[in-house]
Amino acid sequence: MNEASFNRICAILTAAGLAAALFAACSQGGTQSSSAPPAGDTGEVAAESTASAADGVITIKYPTYAVGANINVKAEQAKLARFEELYGDTIKLEIEELPSDPAYTDKMKILAASNELPDLVDGKNGLRDLAIKNGQAMDLLPVLEADPEYRADLGEESIQANMSEDGKLYSIVGNSQVVGYYYNKEMFADAGIEPAKTWDEFTENCEKLLAKGYTPMALMTGENSWTTNLLLSSMIGTAGEAGNTLMNTYHPETYQTPEVIDALERMKLYLQKYTTADAIGALYANAANNFEQEQAAMIFNGLWMTTDFTNPEKCPEGFDEKVGIAAYPEQGLIANYAEGFVVCSTTPEKQDAAVKLMKCFTDAEGQRISMELANNIPAGNNVEISEDFKAANPFFVQLMDFRKDIKYTYATFDVMAYASVVDAFGKYYPDLAYDTITAAEMAQKLDEAAASSK
Amino acid sequence: MKVSKRWIVLFLAPGTALFLFIYALSLGMLLVTSFTSWSIGSEVGFAGLGNYIELFLSATFRQSLVNNLIWILLQCTIHVAIGVVFALIIARRKWYYKIARTVFMIPNIISNAALGMLFLCVLNPKFGPLNAALTAITGKPFTHNWFLDPRTAFLTVTLTWLPFAAVVGILVLAEMAAVDDSIYEASAIDGASEFQTNIYVTLPMMRNVIGTGTVLAATSMLQKLDIIMMTTNGGPGVKTTNMPMLIYQTALRDNNFSLANAQGVLLIIIGLIAIGLINRIYRMNEAD
Repeated sequence: MNEASFNRICAILTAAGLAAALFAACSQGGTQSSSAPPAGDTGEVAAESTASAADGVITIKYPTYAVGANINVKAEQAKLARFEELYGDTIKLEIEELPSDPAYTDKMKILAASNELPDLVDGKNGLRDLAIKNGQAMDLLPVLEADPEYRADLGEESIQANMSEDGKLYSIVGNSQVVGYYYNKEMFADAGIEPAKTWDEFTENCEKLLAKGYTPMALMTGENSWTTNLLLSSMIGTAGEAGNTLMNTYHPETYQTPEVIDALERMKLYLQKYTTADAIGALYANAANNFEQEQAAMIFNGLWMTTDFTNPEKCPEGFDEKVGIAAYPEQGLIANYAEGFVVCSTTPEKQDAAVKLMKCFTDAEGQRISMELANNIPAGNNVEISEDFKAANPFFVQLMDFRKDIKYTYATFDVMAYASVVDAFGKYYPDLAYDTITAAEMAQKLDEAAASSK
Repeated sequence: MKVSKRWIVLFLAPGTALFLFIYALSLGMLLVTSFTSWSIGSEVGFAGLGNYIELFLSATFRQSLVNNLIWILLQCTIHVAIGVVFALIIARRKWYYKIARTVFMIPNIISNAALGMLFLCVLNPKFGPLNAALTAITGKPFTHNWFLDPRTAFLTVTLTWLPFAAVVGILVLAEMAAVDDSIYEASAIDGASEFQTNIYVTLPMMRNVIGTGTVLAATSMLQKLDIIMMTTNGGPGVKTTNMPMLIYQTALRDNNFSLANAQGVLLIIIGLIAIGLINRIYRMNEAD
């Protein structure tokens, strides 16, 4: 072979390689390499991405953010193992793990834009509304009508909470969210205080804690301002009928109300005076760490946090003995239902398979698993709470007791407000704390944020 | 050497096809959809200039545009100047040049996510080493919130990228290595000091590569998103929001794709104007 021929062959091979690479890059793969069970060994992996009618096996897609350090990982694994045991022969799951809530929401929004939401999705952060809007969300009322036992498992309250204005039910949830707050009993005793009955007393308590050298609250304004917004929603939700109505309204018309402005005014004081130095911009992990390392006397959070209190990697030994739980001043308690699961399948076979998966997550057994492994409160009353569980989870029992004497219940901002409003809190709390905007101006900013999502 | 046209076409075809299908098509769609009303789940309708009018009436957009322009200006001046000065110092090849070059390069090889976490820790109001040092120096508790105090937020975010000009420095260094030694010998014979040589001999010869570095520095500001998201998320208020951040929020928080696409079009136009201006200022298409 002479040099010219050799060069020509090399050139042809190179050009062919480039062209092949181009086609490979541009073509869509037929299989999803991301299919994998969550951290545990659940074994639900399917090679094919479409329903395989030939062998009677249906494949459905299920994305999850219950991975890594997520508090629900163990419960999710147990529920998926149960699903595999019940339906593994006929339904295969193609599971996509997404590393965080924002990653999950962003990915689902992109898929919603092209009507390609997976078969079963969590409707949080406005995803249920998008699934309804793009026509993928399935009405689940016929499912409940066909299965009265399952309906009883869920309880009428959780069903009604998710009913749509058009009389349809687009999502189902297996847990209820009941949230009080935790306090450090030693610090409270040293300051000579008890959990406050009124908001004025709450502020006085903060002053007494501060006088004793304790930082009163572990607040945070990063991410979704979770602990801070739980406190704010409680201040608004217990501010008479008007405040309570607002906090129980899905996407309220306006936040420029006296109750919201008063609560923001009070929050301004709390952010300036009664919280940790890193609260502005802090993530949830920072706030939790401040409480668990006894750097702050109170934190506002749900029962899922209690598993931390006995974790030696997060808390000092015996910390759980120091922690008390309380309802909010004015007999308030956050009590709501999240959106839950939305079935977005496009064929009857897949809808049937996705409903089966949803039932595994939300029926009485699913709720029991969730309660025992993630401290989630069951949505219905069909879950038997064992004496062993009660003995091991005193906070759970106390919170259930609080519910009996509560005057006000209300939702979290994450459930009742647009995602843009929740985001706006994180943006404008710093301005509020540093006095560059007033409480009234912040309420106006919240309205502007809500308007951008309408 | 005679080159067959067939080979030219054959080798250009994959790249051209990639550009057409991945960039040109997307840009076309971006432009077209910016004149529509399009949010997730809704019908796409014609909106004319509605999105653009809405943008310029929005205080948030105007603030993010101004922030972006300030950052571009700072990159084109201070950032590039730091890179050039660094290159001139390293070019002296003193005992420290290898270690200085490596150290200067480190922030450029760390991912922005890791860099964001690093800055969050260093500048943490409660346990950050900067506040700890200031506490030790002043003898008073120092808990300044660098990233989220409205008085320091913009400057602090800016400092997470402004001083790290290793790319500009390396480009200039590479160009300086190509300069014939005889030029420097001639300036030395003429009695020029090191400073005079740098100012009157080296820098004029670096004009094109400094222009290239300036283009890179300016356009990097049109893509800056991750480190802002990690440190301030665009706050307090919109004080550190830039256009990429606003596009992300408009598309994936407000679900308004058409408005986000209109912002994308404007971002591209700003990029083209910036590149055009830099080309003119540095006379990059002209021979020396």
